[in-house]
Amino acid sequence: MFNKVLIANRGEIAVRILRACRELGLETVAVYSEADRQALHVRYADEAYLLGPAPSRESYLRGDKIIEIAKKCGAGAIHPGYGFLAEREDFAEACAEAGIVFIGPKPSAIAAMGDKAVARATVAKSGVPVVPGTEDVGDLSDEELLALAPKIGFPLLIKATAGGGGKGMREVRSLEEMPTLLQSARREAEAAFGDGNVYLEKLIEGARHIEIQILADQHGNVIHLGERECSLQRRHQKLIEESPSPFIGTDEDLRQRMGEVAVRAAQAVEYVNAGTIEFLVDKDKNFYFLEMNTRLQVEHPVTEMVTGIDIVKEQIRIARGRQLSYTQEDVSFKGHAIECRINAEDPFNNFMPSTGRITHSVLPTGPGVRVDTSVYPGFEITPYYDPLIAKLIVWGETRGQAILRMRRALEEYRIVGIRTNIPFHQMMMDSTRFIAGQYDTRFVEERFDIEKAEGGSDEAPQIAAIMATLAAHQQTQRAAHVVRRAERDTSNWKWLGRWERLQR
Amino acid sequence: MKYIATTDEKEIGIEIVDEHHVRIGDRLIAVDFVALSDQPLYSLIVDGKSYEAYIYPEEGGWQVLLMGRLYHVHVEDEREKRLRAAAGSKVAETGEFHLKAPMPGLVVSVPVSEGQSVEKGDVLVILESMKMQNELKSPRAGTVSRIRVKPGDSVEQRQTLLSVV
Repeated sequence: MFNKVLIANRGEIAVRILRACRELGLETVAVYSEADRQALHVRYADEAYLLGPAPSRESYLRGDKIIEIAKKCGAGAIHPGYGFLAEREDFAEACAEAGIVFIGPKPSAIAAMGDKAVARATVAKSGVPVVPGTEDVGDLSDEELLALAPKIGFPLLIKATAGGGGKGMREVRSLEEMPTLLQSARREAEAAFGDGNVYLEKLIEGARHIEIQILADQHGNVIHLGERECSLQRRHQKLIEESPSPFIGTDEDLRQRMGEVAVRAAQAVEYVNAGTIEFLVDKDKNFYFLEMNTRLQVEHPVTEMVTGIDIVKEQIRIARGRQLSYTQEDVSFKGHAIECRINAEDPFNNFMPSTGRITHSVLPTGPGVRVDTSVYPGFEITPYYDPLIAKLIVWGETRGQAILRMRRALEEYRIVGIRTNIPFHQMMMDSTRFIAGQYDTRFVEERFDIEKAEGGSDEAPQIAAIMATLAAHQQTQRAAHVVRRAERDTSNWKWLGRWERLQR
Repeated sequence: MKYIATTDEKEIGIEIVDEHHVRIGDRLIAVDFVALSDQPLYSLIVDGKSYEAYIYPEEGGWQVLLMGRLYHVHVEDEREKRLRAAAGSKVAETGEFHLKAPMPGLVVSVPVSEGQSVEKGDVLVILESMKMQNELKSPRAGTVSRIRVKPGDSVEQRQTLLSVV
């Protein structure tokens, strides 16, 4: 039994896990890179140790160093969060060898689900439907893939074998464009995962991405916590998640069937701890196993909001060898939760990453609002890690109430110093298709134009004009002021020139 | 001072009467405009209504992010407007375009070569930052000149990568 936990992660998820540990009375250990000396997880933890330089492979991916630190400081368990080392069986294995509890599944389960081909074969054997593709065949050459493509049929997807998060993924409409896309997918996969292998998968059009959260303890109990709708994506990156899914809605039968299949998939690999089974659901409500994420998900809070279950605390409880606090019958759903991922990206400039120092920040609060974040005024957003800076989660009695609350919370949220995608979320909350729940995984790319978004008030353009004019006027006044003063060691023209250069 | 603000191709004449009043047409409007916690966040109370917006200077004007919408506002005083009208409003797309890195990152590839002609929207450089590959595209047609980076280079924000003439 451990009572000190090392959190092998950074950002909002490290803070989230720290909070659970604190509430359970466990001591906490943070690890950090040189770029994160001032990060919130370092400030909140009881102990903190430097890992190395900013790039992940020299810091947060240094499993050997992390285990060494855990041994030295007496941490009995390591929570990997998501990303970094969360789905690395070798790391889970190394923890076990060092006598440290890995808060997650067994290495064998990570391996079985991490290799997508094995995962599909395993779940297919237990009667879980899978999407047609070449994943089970193993690594193929470009020539072999090009030969197999017409058999699967277009459109199809090229996906990275080691992949996730949309990296190394390309959509192919025809055989002609496939060689170019194969090359760029391999290049991106190589850069992201150090593995350029790819596979093909049939693209299900109009598909919705719905996933089931499961919890499994070491005593053979497996339960599911219902679904999360994650169809709102851009470039295969999830942006908004909600629970319950408006697509499943009141179809309790479908919900139960998906839940049972998810439980079966987890049992097929003797899964322990929290995990997520991702499904693609077509418009006729056929569902296919996509993959299993053998870790805590970014979007776990929406499930927490509707079930009242603290998933991270349950993870720790499971890792300590206890029984689950809940049986399937205990799990009930109340109301509706939505999460918006707040990224340091400029939605008006093709979602280009935005870096810089956050100079000012006002978080939304009030009834039904939760913010999981790790940034604060004075914190620098660096280009080394992913752009997620906060998760804004709201709860409402109904989906409509939740949307209204999310609108209110987004309008309250102020971050100065970097650009964020908050305006994108505001437009989404105004979009009639989102409100009606009629969206699939292609909605953002195909039917959404940030320049022609719906909603917005009539008087706003005039207010904007007044504000810009006042700002311009202030600037002119200041410029005049600079020129007017004569006590300079050099000519006013030079001063003006310098001033103008400063303003650029 | 009289200004003409243009947004969404609509022109609005706005006169700054004094620190707390502006005139639009015949209407004298009470305004209270303050920068919050330093720029670029501003609060405006106009006729008792309270608004907050981010205001950023941009090439040839201002970006105003208000209630989740972005407005591009071009502001000029009357004298500037007359000068521009006299000079002819059409500004030809000439001069060099310098592609600058929008953020620090790693150059993944430069799919163009010097002297190559490109169309608007062609990819000039692929830059990796925050674990994503970003395609930097040409804003207009032209000829690529002076490529200053190669794949594998780390670049700083606003560093010039290449030019299109």
